[in-house]
Amino acid sequence: MWAMIVKEFRQLRRDHRTLAMMIFLPIVLLVVFGYAASFDVPKIPVNVYGRGAEELAAALRPPFEVREVDPDGWASEAETALRDGEVPVAFLATFEGPHVLIDGSELFTAKATQGALAELAQSVPGAPSTYPRMPSVEILFNEGLETSAIMVPGLAAMILLFVGTVITSLGVVRERQAGTLEQLAVMPLRPWDVFLGKVAPYFLVASVDMVVVVLAGVLLFDVPFRGQVAVLALGAVLFLFVTLGLGVLISSVSQNQGQAIQLALMALLPQVMLSGLIFPLSSMAAGVRWIGYVLPLTYFVRISRGVMLRGAPLGALWPSFAYLAVIGAVVFGLATLRFHRSLAPARTRGEREAVSAR
Amino acid sequence: MTPLAESLAVSRRFGPLLAVDAVDLRVGPGEVVGLLGANGAGKTTLIRLLLGLLPPSAGSVRLFGEAPSRATRRRIGYVPQGLGLYEDLTPRENLAFAQAAFGGEAGELPGDLGAVADVPVGRLPLGIQRRVAFALALAHRPDLLVLDEPTSGVDPLARARLWEQIRTAAEAGAGALVTTHHMEEAEECDRLVVMADGRVVAEGTLPEIVGDARVVVVETPGWAHAFERLEAAGLQAALVGRTLRVLGVGPREVRGALGDLEARLSEAPATLEERFLELTLGRAAA
Amino acid sequence: MTFGVRGLTVRFGPQVALEDVTLEVPPGRVTAVVGGDGAGKTTLLRVLAGALAPTAGEVRRPGPERIGHLPASSGTYPDLTVRENLAFVAAAYGVPATAARERADELLSRTGLAGALDRLAGELSGGMRRKLGVVCAMLHRPELLVLDEPTTGIDPVSRADLWWLIARAAAEGAAVVLSTSYLDEAERAAWVLALDAGRTLAEGTAEDIVAAVPGAVCRAAERPSGDLARYAWRRGATWRVWLPEGVAPPAGPALELLRPDLADAVTVAALARELAHAGGDRR
Repeated sequence: MWAMIVKEFRQLRRDHRTLAMMIFLPIVLLVVFGYAASFDVPKIPVNVYGRGAEELAAALRPPFEVREVDPDGWASEAETALRDGEVPVAFLATFEGPHVLIDGSELFTAKATQGALAELAQSVPGAPSTYPRMPSVEILFNEGLETSAIMVPGLAAMILLFVGTVITSLGVVRERQAGTLEQLAVMPLRPWDVFLGKVAPYFLVASVDMVVVVLAGVLLFDVPFRGQVAVLALGAVLFLFVTLGLGVLISSVSQNQGQAIQLALMALLPQVMLSGLIFPLSSMAAGVRWIGYVLPLTYFVRISRGVMLRGAPLGALWPSFAYLAVIGAVVFGLATLRFHRSLAPARTRGEREAVSAR
Repeated sequence: MTPLAESLAVSRRFGPLLAVDAVDLRVGPGEVVGLLGANGAGKTTLIRLLLGLLPPSAGSVRLFGEAPSRATRRRIGYVPQGLGLYEDLTPRENLAFAQAAFGGEAGELPGDLGAVADVPVGRLPLGIQRRVAFALALAHRPDLLVLDEPTSGVDPLARARLWEQIRTAAEAGAGALVTTHHMEEAEECDRLVVMADGRVVAEGTLPEIVGDARVVVVETPGWAHAFERLEAAGLQAALVGRTLRVLGVGPREVRGALGDLEARLSEAPATLEERFLELTLGRAAA
Repeated sequence: MTFGVRGLTVRFGPQVALEDVTLEVPPGRVTAVVGGDGAGKTTLLRVLAGALAPTAGEVRRPGPERIGHLPASSGTYPDLTVRENLAFVAAAYGVPATAARERADELLSRTGLAGALDRLAGELSGGMRRKLGVVCAMLHRPELLVLDEPTTGIDPVSRADLWWLIARAAAEGAAVVLSTSYLDEAERAAWVLALDAGRTLAEGTAEDIVAAVPGAVCRAAERPSGDLARYAWRRGATWRVWLPEGVAPPAGPALELLRPDLADAVTVAALARELAHAGGDRR
């Protein structure tokens, strides 16, 4: 039995991927739950509009953080700012007192705002006339503060990620595992044909899945769809380039489906945890939040939520689009290169054997 | 007559390793050429060079008289050792994909495969899978067949039948290049090319290659003892049935090694395999 | 003590893998089981090695610690080095470390593996890995050595080394049984059992089997037409024709009488069986 233990350890030592998983996963989970998993929002950025905005802004204290003061702006500017995702909360300085517009699609910020406002009203009895009573509050975009409303767009994003990365990598690696890649190399097919031909079905499947999820959300869970379908579709296409490219890349460094799944999971888990899908980015410690800013999923979640819940236009979301486009080009480009190379490898098994036989 | 496939002093280097060293090879229409060699002899690299999957480091490769290209691939039928079939597809679906890729007229699966045409390949016995792979390679009527160990692990009757297909294609004008480790398969070829260390060490028909190489046959009741003594004398002895065959030396040396052991010595012509060993090991020692 | 099986039948659900097979595997000799894919060779060897229980019939084999088994597909751990593989086998079979090392060194150096001690088994060429597999299987000097297709797909040089190991095991007194689809190789064994679809097709020494061919075998330059066509098969550039007892040679192109070899003999047996079952389901 001892021999068995020794052998198993030796094999484990060599299995770098499993080792990586054994070390990597606990670290990720530790980081996430230590620094990232929180629903508390420490800071709430706000814009203040209306005549009297300056005094109102001066009176506001943390957690509110004033970003912009616009005495000439009014309700429509406030709504636009919220819709475009500039800030989650806007104060309007009316004669009857401050009127607060809250972006319901930022669920936890909205709840934190409600809490903060209640505190404000209580903590200032007999305050100056700017605070006669509890400010009036209007929640935009997700009036009921439903969790499903923010989860469904996030789910759509996750489907694209899952199909793109995991399923695609399995499909491509299956070719290598079965040894049919060799046959493909000898057929009169262009490498481009093979690559696109392999990837296109997954593109289609992911798109269909996403449409189903969105429809289910809208029809069954009363999730609003206020924006333009075309904008969401464009975002989805760009994001798919990223995830499909990632899937093909993973398969190009995997020999079999088991390895592909391991890598795909390691790529998937941090994205799900740290992209703002579940835990808001603003709640994460700064040292960890930067990871969220690098992950592609973060940007598609923004696009998805922005378009569905707030009806944000393309112009407002352009940084997210730009990021996805660039990352997509890089990842997809790399994947294409590697795939081309695997169809006409410089070294075959035979040569490697010949070298090792020396 | 233009050869179907031709390599002219082709070499291929991988870093410090010269995998293929100035090899001349020709496959003409209607002929079946067998490529033999130990692992690392360069067979696989040479095949890849001929198929146009690898560029040569020196020399040139010609397929149907021109440089390898996508168009030339259309005229090649390739069956790799792993058969290259999609296991979750049926033979009919595999054929459809192959035909779409190769163009050409729609072919049909041979009659006797009709019963299994709609069963996923992965569930078919290996013998039938092999026949499907062959059918696929022949479907677009290629001018050149490249087969990697086509009948490895196959019983003699099935082997004869598979080779009949190859021969029929050759009689219709196609050429075939077959790599093999297997002497029974080598016997089926018109011409053999033997490689070792990246070079061609022998070429010709089977009788030409074996020539008059001979071995010493030792018949003795106590073959185990004889074995030990021959070993001790540094001689290469192989057990065949209950006799021993010794390569590379004459009867006198064998008798000397055996000493006083009772044994009957005779000489016999070497088999292709024994000649192959002589060629390969001789080269390695050089 | 002679090992072997008698009246062995193995069924997997409705599928019959072996039917009423009898084989003796005596010590100090090499016994070969031949047949194509699906003939039942692996099943028979697994029963002999104790990895599979028979559905019916008798099996004689030593205890598991006295058996060495090399399966067709693996036999070595690819992510362990050669040294580590051997160490594991030695420990598993209770071979003392020094004895194991000496024996391993001798076997490895004689088969060209001495320089590969610290290489990962997965990185070795097919032939080298197979040699390592056989060395692992015979490290503990088993009484019964069972090798499943040890030489299939292996280059001739490695095959020569493998046969050296096999001969060595037999010289040490082991009962060696191996399966192969190469008939020229089967001729090297002292006893041959040919299987076809789970049943015995022919058995005996190579000479016995050849002598038992009914009728005569000829060589023809072309495929014979008419009735004789079904008795013909391709071999190299010519055809072989089997003339069963009572079938007269045809008029026309001369048929050259041949002394059949083992491949011819087995082919005749398979052909005879196929023609007898004409119309039935043949794999």
